[in-house]
Amino acid sequence: MKKEWLVIKEKETTVKVKTAKVEAVRSKDIVKKGYRVYKDGKIGISGAIGDVPMAQLEKDATENLMTDIAYPYALTGDKKDHRNYNASPMDAKTLLEETEAILAFFRESYPEFDYSEHLSVIEHSAWMQNTEGLDLKYEDAYFELALILKEIGGPNVFDGFLSYFGRSFDRAKFIEQSKAFMKGYLGKADLPEGDKLPVFFIGEDSFNGIFSRSLNGEIYSTGSSLFKGKLGETLFNEKLTLSIWKNPVQNFAPFFDREGMTYENDKLPLIQKGKFVSVFADKRTSDLYSLPYTGGATGDYDGLPVLTAPTLGFDVDTEDITQVLEGQKSILVVISSGGDFTTDGDYATPVQVSFLLEGTEIIGKLPEFNMRSNLYDMFGKDYIGTFESPYYIGEGAQLHGMWMKIN
Amino acid sequence: MYHFPEGLYTDLRIETLFDTKITFKKEKLQEQKVRTNKGAFIRVFDGNRWYYSATTELEALQEKIDELASLATPNASILEHPIVKKFEVNVDTCLKFEEGDLSKIDVMAKQELLRGYLDLLEREEIVHHSSFYVDNRITKEIISSKGTHVIYDRQTCGIRLNMELVSGDKKDSSRASKAGIYFEDLKAIRSELQDEVDKSIAFVKEAVPVVPGDYVVLMSPLTTGVFTHESFGHKSESDFMLGDPNMKKEWAIGKQVGSPGLTIIDDGHVLGNGYTPYDDEGNKAEKTYIVTDGKLTGRLQSTVTGTHLEEGLTGNARAMNFEFEPIVRMTTTYIEKGNRPLKEIVAEIEKGIYIEDIKHGSGMSTFTIAPSRAYMIENGKITTPVKISVVTGNVFETLGEVDALSEEFELLSFVGGGCGKMEQWPLPVGFGGPYTRVKKLTVQ
Repeated sequence: MKKEWLVIKEKETTVKVKTAKVEAVRSKDIVKKGYRVYKDGKIGISGAIGDVPMAQLEKDATENLMTDIAYPYALTGDKKDHRNYNASPMDAKTLLEETEAILAFFRESYPEFDYSEHLSVIEHSAWMQNTEGLDLKYEDAYFELALILKEIGGPNVFDGFLSYFGRSFDRAKFIEQSKAFMKGYLGKADLPEGDKLPVFFIGEDSFNGIFSRSLNGEIYSTGSSLFKGKLGETLFNEKLTLSIWKNPVQNFAPFFDREGMTYENDKLPLIQKGKFVSVFADKRTSDLYSLPYTGGATGDYDGLPVLTAPTLGFDVDTEDITQVLEGQKSILVVISSGGDFTTDGDYATPVQVSFLLEGTEIIGKLPEFNMRSNLYDMFGKDYIGTFESPYYIGEGAQLHGMWMKIN
Repeated sequence: MYHFPEGLYTDLRIETLFDTKITFKKEKLQEQKVRTNKGAFIRVFDGNRWYYSATTELEALQEKIDELASLATPNASILEHPIVKKFEVNVDTCLKFEEGDLSKIDVMAKQELLRGYLDLLEREEIVHHSSFYVDNRITKEIISSKGTHVIYDRQTCGIRLNMELVSGDKKDSSRASKAGIYFEDLKAIRSELQDEVDKSIAFVKEAVPVVPGDYVVLMSPLTTGVFTHESFGHKSESDFMLGDPNMKKEWAIGKQVGSPGLTIIDDGHVLGNGYTPYDDEGNKAEKTYIVTDGKLTGRLQSTVTGTHLEEGLTGNARAMNFEFEPIVRMTTTYIEKGNRPLKEIVAEIEKGIYIEDIKHGSGMSTFTIAPSRAYMIENGKITTPVKISVVTGNVFETLGEVDALSEEFELLSFVGGGCGKMEQWPLPVGFGGPYTRVKKLTVQ
């Protein structure tokens, strides 16, 4: 019987903020363990939260073999890679001091707003091993800041936010950056003239869902992907490269998937220079639909590997926002909540909070508006580029620019 | 029992969690998982600051309490602190689901139940499907240094059939689902699931892109529930008022916020995803009339918000699980039923949109609903299925635009998912209401 196990440790100190003051300090130290056994082409699983002995989990997983779930695939083995991306995380005392200092700055400099939410230091590790020689360990620690802004006297539940995410934190830089954002929150601006305007999204949350669905090997092979029958075709702007992204430097997550798959340079292109080159497939999907095995399995700590949505990432393909816009004013989207794509790829969303930009300078806050486009246009003829964020908002943060119809 | 440190307020919440997940991909069993876990969340308050700890080491709870207490500053008059005074003291054991306990049902019976519905998906247009049986049962024990000792249980279960659909060049993904409280609730749902499957197939075949614009919108009870939750439910969570003294004036009790006839309720007693007979601070659930006949009549409170706003507690301090502290959240939130037949309401619409099912919603000053199934209404009849990215409206205006509520009424729970509020997602909530007509929403 072959055996495989995963141990996830999450240690966290969070300072909760309410009414621009420290309200609470929360600590968390939790272990999650998952165990899999493989016998005669079947898989048994078990798991627990807490430091339950491995022998107990092995016994539970062996009993789970009775469920008769097929998994006739070779285990990934003979691979050892241990990585620690931050051996010296911020300690709890420093976290509290940083929080107090940041809140004092905002209370004094920007009393027009109330501030709430949290600052955290999160230590995270994931260690996957099996009896075939797999031994992958990822350890990391990062600082997270999330402050919600509520305009005093305003009717909204909240009016904006400030955030940062990274392994190190430079308070002076954060405060300088915040001054630029606060200039935006305090200044009013009008939407530039025109039905179609250049828009920059922070991060890829708005489009990850449609790409994940359309590039899923199972959905593609059964015919309901938006990209059905288009493998090998150039579908998007020739600058665009989108990959399964397993680089912890930007991801803050393990470099291996839930079947132990790793990648050269920690990424695997699915759309390369605009061309649709591959779907993603875990072992089961690869076998069932005769697709190249690319990895991409996700799943609960105690579950089977499943093919849902691996993290996808864009290559930075353009360097200078100011240069590429040639003096055209643009929009930086801060909050666009609730929009979606239809199954035809049409996209529409309200933009609740955004800033007017001149180059990369924040001029002022824009009124709420709606915008729309189509996936093929957004990442095709209307694509401006993917840029390293010029703002101090997080390690590896990106901006994605495209022309959108405004209404 | 526990020794609570002098000069501090302390409470702890111990959660025993049971859950089952069974998954089929097409006809093949993909996953069958039954798990039981335990965890606890401890809070210590010294009158100035809270100290929290989440742990799975239940045998070391006293040590954890002492550890948190060592960070706090003892306060001889802690019992006189307004927040501590505000906490209710409840002693109760409310184990409602010992009969019909989902954890006692054989997992193979659950698998067979799900397997029995798979044939509904054997249709030409359904090119792939994943099917799920899920259940969960939680027993919570809440103990405080003020004397609260509450034990209660809650449970839910559900079937969800996820479909990938293709008809010619047209594609869609859809779901048929049913949530319940007891295993028996999921046994006679074949016709309901069949109906959803049929509608999904008709939709992929016939749906056309909507012409963007402002429309009269009619919402199903499910859509009404999400609309209520997103448009005004979050507004009623009073923690957003704490840092802004103007908010109490802006949102004064008695203010007209919606159409006459519109009543919005949050009620932790309703069985289902929002069932919370005691909140995670040990305070009793209330039936809170948030809006009554269009006027603001209440809001949702934790002990902290109730103290600061000098308003009564409502039992709405909820945590996503034992890893988090309770914050102000909804339970089961709905619009009270109206008195008009649905047929009559539809007949009055010359041109509009009917939203039957949704993918998701969100709520700020602009709330959103992303429909998964919607139809045109033309000359008083529901006609062509339409594909819509998003429907939006302004929170401050839309409740005043509600002009008809049906006598047909339904309360529901989703199978999976839930409400998100900052780091705590998903929290199970209930929702629902009548068919609701809004005079104008933006459809794209």
